[in-house]
Amino acid sequence: MGYKSAPPKSARLFIPVTAFFLLLHALVFGDNIVLADLTEMSIEELMNVTVYGASKFEQKTTEAPSSVSIITSEDIKKYGYRTLSDILKSQRSFYITYDRNYSYVGVRGFGRSGDYNGRVLILIDGHRTNDNVYDQGFIGTEFPLDVDLIEKIEIVRGPGSALYGSNAFFAVINVITRKAGTTEWMEASVDAGALETYKGRLSFVHEFNDGTGVLLSGSIMDSEGRSRLFFSEFDDPSTNDGIAENADYDRNHGFFLKLSRSGFTLEGLYASREKGIPTASFETDFNDSRNMTVDERGYAYLRYERQLGDNSQIMGRLFYDVYDYDGTYMYGGVTNKDLGKGTWWGGETLYSVRPLDKHKLSLGAEYQVNSKQDQKYDDQDPLTADLDDRRDSRRLAVYLQDEFAVTESLIFNAGLRHDNYYRFESTNPRLALIYSPFDGTVFKAIYGQAFRIPNSYELYYEEATTQKSNEDLGPETIRTHEIIWEQSLGKNFNMTVDAFHYTISDLIHQHSDPEDDLLVFMNSNDIETDGVELEIGGNLGDRAEGRVSYTYQNAKEAEERTRPVNSPRHLAKLNLTAPVLDENLIAGLEAQYTSKRETLAGDQTDAFIVSNLTILGRNLARGLELSGSIYNIFDKRYHDPSGDEYVQDFIEQDGRAFRLKITYVF
Amino acid sequence: MSFKKYSAVIAAALILIAGAGTQEVFSQVHGYEEYKVKAAFLYNFTKFIEWPADSFENADTPLTLCISGGNPFGDALDSLKDKTVGGRRLSIRIVSRPEATEGCHIVFSSDPDGKNLPAILNSLKNRRVLLVGEMTGFAEAGGIINFFIVDDKVRFEINVEAARRRGLGISSQLLKLARIVKEKN
Repeated sequence: MGYKSAPPKSARLFIPVTAFFLLLHALVFGDNIVLADLTEMSIEELMNVTVYGASKFEQKTTEAPSSVSIITSEDIKKYGYRTLSDILKSQRSFYITYDRNYSYVGVRGFGRSGDYNGRVLILIDGHRTNDNVYDQGFIGTEFPLDVDLIEKIEIVRGPGSALYGSNAFFAVINVITRKAGTTEWMEASVDAGALETYKGRLSFVHEFNDGTGVLLSGSIMDSEGRSRLFFSEFDDPSTNDGIAENADYDRNHGFFLKLSRSGFTLEGLYASREKGIPTASFETDFNDSRNMTVDERGYAYLRYERQLGDNSQIMGRLFYDVYDYDGTYMYGGVTNKDLGKGTWWGGETLYSVRPLDKHKLSLGAEYQVNSKQDQKYDDQDPLTADLDDRRDSRRLAVYLQDEFAVTESLIFNAGLRHDNYYRFESTNPRLALIYSPFDGTVFKAIYGQAFRIPNSYELYYEEATTQKSNEDLGPETIRTHEIIWEQSLGKNFNMTVDAFHYTISDLIHQHSDPEDDLLVFMNSNDIETDGVELEIGGNLGDRAEGRVSYTYQNAKEAEERTRPVNSPRHLAKLNLTAPVLDENLIAGLEAQYTSKRETLAGDQTDAFIVSNLTILGRNLARGLELSGSIYNIFDKRYHDPSGDEYVQDFIEQDGRAFRLKITYVF
Repeated sequence: MSFKKYSAVIAAALILIAGAGTQEVFSQVHGYEEYKVKAAFLYNFTKFIEWPADSFENADTPLTLCISGGNPFGDALDSLKDKTVGGRRLSIRIVSRPEATEGCHIVFSSDPDGKNLPAILNSLKNRRVLLVGEMTGFAEAGGIINFFIVDDKVRFEINVEAARRRGLGISSQLLKLARIVKEKN
């Protein structure tokens, strides 16, 4: 609405860039490279050999010049993961903060309290899930896909804007849903756990003889949560002695559909989550179980992929998305409604080609219309609208990536993407050298830049007594340098060492304006962080496998050189899985260490270790799978720093909890 | 509006690149040809599979690898021609009809839509044959080993029950590396 079209500078930029890549192709020579004799290799070695063939153009992330972790459906079962947030907790350099309303992801020492998950891009089957009002990528019970439907998750660390545009700031998390098999039909799963938590799922999954694949699934979850939660900040007879009763409930339900046939995929999803807010956030009435948020998310897309000859592939996609946020906040017994509504639609196309023998080129374009980005704030009694902000916008992006095998052991990967939001423009490169001097050793040197545009909430949210808008906000930028060393250790182990340095400039950050005491977002802070990740993983023999990682991350607010809030300096993770007694009985053990974190009030939360154990029993009867999990085995009491909207400086997390789960495949 | 200009640029770039793409020059830079790797896997499998003694006529009978349903290997099989397995020569046969599997110890079925599988299973009866495929659901449907590709790397799954039925022993070393699948009756 009323946005001025930016001059088509981007088009002028695009031509020389294309020309540059085409020139690169012209410089290619058709060397004959002598390869090792495959038949002399062991099976383990063969399993590490990269192959190519006519159908080997995977989408986007596969050969991403980044530090990548893969989590499979097997991991989800063996470790008893309930949410995406559970999964991310186990990954090096990731940590999660939960304020008993939403879960927030911190990466590489950055997890500013009170910010939404706008700096990590979360995709489902390549489809962007971050909404268009708050930019938030859901990861907790609000994540719209049942984790049982996940085939694998690719976690790509580092800036990804050169391929994905805004939000791919610290990492891209691509969740890939299950494929239908020809041998299965129905699957039912129920589980029961601590805090009166019950969940059920029914899925129809089958690939028919004509190649039509169907995955249709519905899930429902209901948790009472902690029936009594004590907050010392409210320890007063007027506020129920600090005890919030029956206000921690968490309920969701959702549907997922995927239909695929001969290159076409139709996928749709709808999910709704209702969460009670027991913390009296935003100074609402304490111990009023009517305080809650409801988040509804849905999308549908149609994708077509086609192989064009032996060495190129084209993909086209059309999508439609909705997001609906409905917050109920009680003030003096009066209901206040905070609403956010987003709808958007658009299309994208990706053309991948091996135009010359040493190049793999991807060229893509995306267009998105944000038809609705509305925010509303109503005081219901008497009905007054404090905020009724209606917006729409568009974005157009083009990108190009080339993977150039300079020699047998050296790959140069270059990507560039230009995003035009009409109000904002951003061009982001990524350059990587991938060098493998000998078998089993890979070095990667990467420079990447990413951006995030201010979201509608940061730009336009306004409420008379607490917050004002700032339409002059611009995008924030991150520049990352990274050196990765991936090393096989013997046949069974792999080691990754990853040293990174990033600088965030023009960080969009909420301040309190001293003139009027109102909160306002500004492009103010700069952050500079150095860090190292170290991970060793592999097979321990006899089907046991595991990994252990340590991350050191030293983040500093650039001017004051102080440590930002919610930025642990040390993270360590341990994951082990092994059969016990019988090959059908598998134990999954994990432990996660988080060092102390600064809070907004200048305090620190304690360091803690949380350990979880799952025992998975397979084939107990035909098609029957049973699992039992204990989360936080040692009942460790720990806290997460909270945001500006809380009186509490930090919020207590859950103690020991259990879950029993039964899955039956028909 | 700048969108039109973008479209023109993208279209031009696509045409240029598509033109370059027709050259179809490929070399093994990023990796190996898929079927060279699969051929090496097939050879390697023989080291971990135990055929009962009665599946060979005599000590000199070669181990016969049959390729059924079209030959995707091309000359990739040449690398296996002079190999021996446990003192036996490895013999390679391309079978034109799926049911012509007499005398095969390994049958590799390249059959993307799975149409030949019933015919092969039918012709094999319960003979001591290692049935290898490369199609979703192949092992669950009665095949023994099935290749699949994850992140440009070759992986395989094994239907242990199907191997047992055919009297084949599979080393635990091989099972350790495989995804184990169950049969769908």
